[in-house]
Amino acid sequence: MKNGRFVVGLVGVAAMVAWLMWTGISDSMVYYLTPGELLERVESEPTFHEIGVKVGGRVVEGSWARRQSGAGTHEFLVSDLEDPEVSFAVRYGDILPDTFNDKAEVVVEGIYGADGIFRAHTVLTKCGSRFEAAEEELAA
Amino acid sequence: MTILGEVALWIALPIALWGTVVSFVGGRFRRSDLVLSGERTVYMLTLLLAVVSAGIIAAFLGNQYEYRYVANYSNRELDTYFKVAGLWAGQRGSLVFWTLLLSVFSSIAVFTNRRRNREFMPYVSGTLLGLLSFLLVVLLFADVNPFERMGFTPVNGRGLNPQLQNAWMTIHPPTLYLGFTAFAVPFAFAVSALLTNRLDSRWIAVTRRWILLSWFFLTNGIIFGMRWAYVELGWGGYWFWDPVENASLLPWLTATAFLHSIQIQENRGMLKVWNMGLVVTTFLLTIFATFLTRSGLIESVHSFAENLRIAYIFLGFMGGLAAFSAVLIVYRLPSLRSENQIQSFVSRESAFLFNNLLLVGVTFAVAWGTLFPLITEGFFGETRNVGPPYFNSVNIPIGLILLALMGIGPVIAWRRASKRNLRRNFTVPVVVAAGTCGALAVVGVRHTMALTTFTIAAFVMTIVVTEFWKGTRARARIAGEGVLHALRSLVRRNRRRWGGYIVHAGVVIVFTGLAGAAFDIRVEQELAPGEAMTVRSALGTEYRLVYESLSHSRPRVAEGERENDWRWTALLTVYRGGERVGILRPERRFYPVMESQSTEVGITSTAFEDMYVIPKEVDLESGSERVTFEAKALPLVPWIWYGGLIVTIGALIGMWPAAGVAAPVSARRRSRPGPLPAPATG
Repeated sequence: MKNGRFVVGLVGVAAMVAWLMWTGISDSMVYYLTPGELLERVESEPTFHEIGVKVGGRVVEGSWARRQSGAGTHEFLVSDLEDPEVSFAVRYGDILPDTFNDKAEVVVEGIYGADGIFRAHTVLTKCGSRFEAAEEELAA
Repeated sequence: MTILGEVALWIALPIALWGTVVSFVGGRFRRSDLVLSGERTVYMLTLLLAVVSAGIIAAFLGNQYEYRYVANYSNRELDTYFKVAGLWAGQRGSLVFWTLLLSVFSSIAVFTNRRRNREFMPYVSGTLLGLLSFLLVVLLFADVNPFERMGFTPVNGRGLNPQLQNAWMTIHPPTLYLGFTAFAVPFAFAVSALLTNRLDSRWIAVTRRWILLSWFFLTNGIIFGMRWAYVELGWGGYWFWDPVENASLLPWLTATAFLHSIQIQENRGMLKVWNMGLVVTTFLLTIFATFLTRSGLIESVHSFAENLRIAYIFLGFMGGLAAFSAVLIVYRLPSLRSENQIQSFVSRESAFLFNNLLLVGVTFAVAWGTLFPLITEGFFGETRNVGPPYFNSVNIPIGLILLALMGIGPVIAWRRASKRNLRRNFTVPVVVAAGTCGALAVVGVRHTMALTTFTIAAFVMTIVVTEFWKGTRARARIAGEGVLHALRSLVRRNRRRWGGYIVHAGVVIVFTGLAGAAFDIRVEQELAPGEAMTVRSALGTEYRLVYESLSHSRPRVAEGERENDWRWTALLTVYRGGERVGILRPERRFYPVMESQSTEVGITSTAFEDMYVIPKEVDLESGSERVTFEAKALPLVPWIWYGGLIVTIGALIGMWPAAGVAAPVSARRRSRPGPLPAPATG
C-alpha cells in the first residue's frame, strides 16, 4: 500500500480544513460582550470605539422611542442582564425583528461610538422557546 | 390523567433500572430468563412513557396552569392543535418526548429481534435501558420535571411564542427527534458487538436499516426546519448557522459519513475502528443536539446561567459515554484490525475515505464555530463569536468537493481503478460539465461559486442518469422487458444502490437550489393602496405587485377569553410577465398576550423561482394604510424543496424491505457469518 500518499492526502485535507477555518475566523470574528464588559473595555481601551462588537442585554422598559428625523429609526437603552443599572443607548435604522418589544432580550451588533451611542447594524431577539418565566411574572 | 402521568414517570425509573441490570447480568451469565425480563421492561417502559406523555398533553388541553411547564408554553387562547404539540414546545416536554421515542424504537428493536440476533440482544436492550434510565433520572431529579407544580395557579399561561405557532414548527422537532433516537439502536448494537467481541460486519448489516431510518428522519427534520425558517421567519432565508441549526446538522454530517464508511467495512473489511468511532460520535452528537437546542447553552454564556446545570449533567453523561466507548474500542483493538489495505489512490475506497475525512472535517469546523463563544471564553476569558461568513467560507468549498465525490465515488472501481474504468465512466460527464459551465458563462453567469456548483452538479447528474440508463438498457436487453418495467426491476434488485443514486440526484438538486442564493434580488418600497411595485428577477422575469387593500381581522373568541392574535392582511395582485397569476395575502399579526408580532409572508412559486413578499411595516398611526413591502425574487429556492423530496424518496427506496426473491437481510447474514463478499452497492 502506498501509505505515503494517503498520509499526504490526510494531511492535505486537515490542512485545507484548518486553513479555511483560520481565514473564516479572522474574517468574521467579533467580540461578544455584556454591557458591563463593553463599558469597562472602552474605558481601558478607547480603540474599542472603532471596532465592531456584539452585545447581549435587555431593552430597558419604556426606553424605546422612534426618532422623528428619518423614518424607521429606533432608539432604546440596553441594560446588563445581571446588573440592570448598567446600560447604554442603541440606535438602529432598520426594521426591528417581530419579537422585539421594550423588555425583550436582545443581541445587538455594531459599533459603540465615542459619543456613547451604539450604532447597531443588526438587532436580534432571543428565541422564546428556550427560557421560562419567573414565577412572579406568571402570577401577574 | 395528569396525575396518572406523573405516577407513571415515577414508576418508570425503577423498572428501567431493573431492566438495565437484568439485561446485562442475563447477558453475562447466559440467563435467558433474565434477558427476557429485561426485554419485557422495554415494552413496559414504552407503555408508561405513553401515559406520561398523555398526562402532559392532558394538562395542556385542560389548561392546568398550576404546572410550570404548561403555564410557560400555553394559554387559554391557543389552538388545540398547538396545545397537543406543547408536549415538545419546551425543554421539559421535549425530554419526555425524546424518552418516549427512544422507548418506542427500543421496543421495535427488541420485537423485531425476538427470534434472531439473540447473541446481541441482551446488551442491546441493556444499553437502551441504560439510556432510558439516565433520561428518567434527569426528568425526575434535575429540575426539569414536566409535572412540577407552582405554589399557585395562574389565571392564564404565558402562551406559545408566535413564531412557533406554525405547522412546520410542530413537525420539525419531532422529525429530528425521531432521527436522533433511532440512532440509539445502531449505537446499542455497536456497544453489544464490542462487549461480545462479535466485531465482523454483522452488527452493521443488522442495523443498516436503522441507520438509514435515522438518516432519513434527520434529513427530513433539517429540511422541515429550513422550510419553517423560510415561511415563518420572514426574511427570505432558510439557514442562518444558528447554534440550534448547527446542532442538528452535526449528527447528520457524521451519520452521512457513517453510511458511506460502513460500505467499505462490508465490502473490504476495513475502517472498523473508524466506524466504531463514527457510530459513537454520531450518537453523542444526537444527545448534544437535543440538550443544546433546549438548554440555550451557547447563548447562556451571557444570559441564562441558571439553566447551565442541565447542560453540565448532559455534558458529564456524554463524557462518560465517550470514555466508556473509547475504553471498549481500545480493549477490542486486536479484533478491529483491518482485513485489507487500500491498494490505490484512485479507487472507490479512496473516494469514500476522502468523503469521510471531509465530512468529519466539516463536522469539526461547524462544531468549532458553534462552540467558539465557549472556547474563547474558556481560553481568553472573553467571549468572541463567529458568524455566517465563517461557516460559509469553510463549508462551501468543502461542500463542493463532497458534491464532486458524490459523482465519482459510486462509479469508480474498487481496489484500483484502471484507466479504462476512468475513461468509460467519466468522459461523458466531464464533457457535459464543461459544456454546462461554458453555456452558463456565455449567458452571463459570473458568480464563481455558483458557476462551480452548477458545473459540478451537471457532472454528478450526468453520472447518475448514465448509470440508470446503462442499467436499464442492459436489463431491458437481457430480460426482454420494456424500459419502465426494466427500470423498476433494476431498482428492486438492488434498492440500496439505486436508492443511493436517487438520494445523490436529490442532493445535487438541493445544492443547485442553494447556489441560487447568489442571484437574489430585493426591492423595498412603501406603497399606498392602489400603488404597485416592479421587481425583475435574475432569471429575467418581471413581477408587478399591485397593493390593493389592507384588511383588519380579529378572531372570534368565547366570552372571557382574550384574543390570541390580531391580523392586518394586505391584498396584493401579482402579475408575472404581464400576466395576472394570483393574489398574495401577506400578514402582520400582533399577539396581545405575548406582546409580540409576527410576519406571514406571501410566496408565489414557479418551478424555477419564488417571489417572496414581506410586509415589513404597516402604518397604523396615520390611518393611511401605507405598507412597506420588501419583495424578493429568489431563483432556484423551490429546487431545495424538490431536491429534499427526491432525497426522501431515495432514502425510502434504500431502506424498503426487500420483497419476494431476496430473504430478509439479517436471515441471509446469519446463514453466512463473518465478513461477506461484496454485495454490489453504490
